[in-house]
Amino acid sequence: MTEAYKYSILYFLVFSLLLLLSALSLFEYKIGFSYVEVLNYYLGNKEKFMVAKTVTGLFKIIVPHIMSFGLFVMVILHFLIFTRYKTKSELQIIIRLAYITAFLELFAPFFIINGFEFFAYVKLLSFFLLEVIVLYISFLLFWSITQE
Amino acid sequence: MRFTLIKDLKKDKSMNPILKGLLVFIVLYLIVDVFLKEQTMGLSSKDILHTLFGNVDEYVDPMSEALFLEFIHMEIFFEMMMLLTLNAVFTRLMYLKPLSLFVSNITLITAILSLITIALTYFYAQVFVFVYVISFFIWHIGAFYMALSSLWRLQFD
Repeated sequence: MTEAYKYSILYFLVFSLLLLLSALSLFEYKIGFSYVEVLNYYLGNKEKFMVAKTVTGLFKIIVPHIMSFGLFVMVILHFLIFTRYKTKSELQIIIRLAYITAFLELFAPFFIINGFEFFAYVKLLSFFLLEVIVLYISFLLFWSITQE
Repeated sequence: MRFTLIKDLKKDKSMNPILKGLLVFIVLYLIVDVFLKEQTMGLSSKDILHTLFGNVDEYVDPMSEALFLEFIHMEIFFEMMMLLTLNAVFTRLMYLKPLSLFVSNITLITAILSLITIALTYFYAQVFVFVYVISFFIWHIGAFYMALSSLWRLQFD
């Protein structure tokens, strides 16, 4: 049965990679990866006919993502409990970093539309950091399944 | 996934109905998903291509890249969570049966394949739509079998 669960986790990792890839494509297409593009997306740009985001608009995007982020991060992290990384202090850092980054990724836009333009960097950094963290967790899980 | 630690799920008075409820909702999800796809994208390769690339004769606009990316992003998440949960229940209840591993592997592989091929259809070549249609039906049938056989085992075996 344990073998069957290993397959299940491997498939979950493939799904996770597809999810990261689609998130990356969506971010690149809708927002863009530069500081100016992030500001244009949230604050609008008259020359490019881009409308500024409202608080309601942000809520509509963020509400389904809050639950999804929490669930996804919990699921992928909890698999690590069944590996040899369970007792390592590194896991405690990863857990906290994953949730904090997910929080910043979700809520940075509220600061941007309220005049804190610096948070465009926070949005970009937290997005990439979250992608890297998920990739790293996926790698640890893949390594545990195939090598142990 | 607390249920993976309970010794006899069939005799557990609380976990048994909880899992049955979950499985009924998964069955409903699978059925409604087919109807939803039929209404929004179509189930035949011709209808899907019309939805993705539009049809001048019928004044149908092509699907925008943003809309397609949002669609596939949500599909990946829901399929991933639903199939992970279903597979955990199915494995827990059916792991002794030789057909089980085959069915769960085929279901998960075709589910991943359907997501990849719909993206390939949109971005690279329309020919992938045929693989998408086949894999879409296989994973739905496989997941349907996994949910129903788990329900059967919880109730009758």
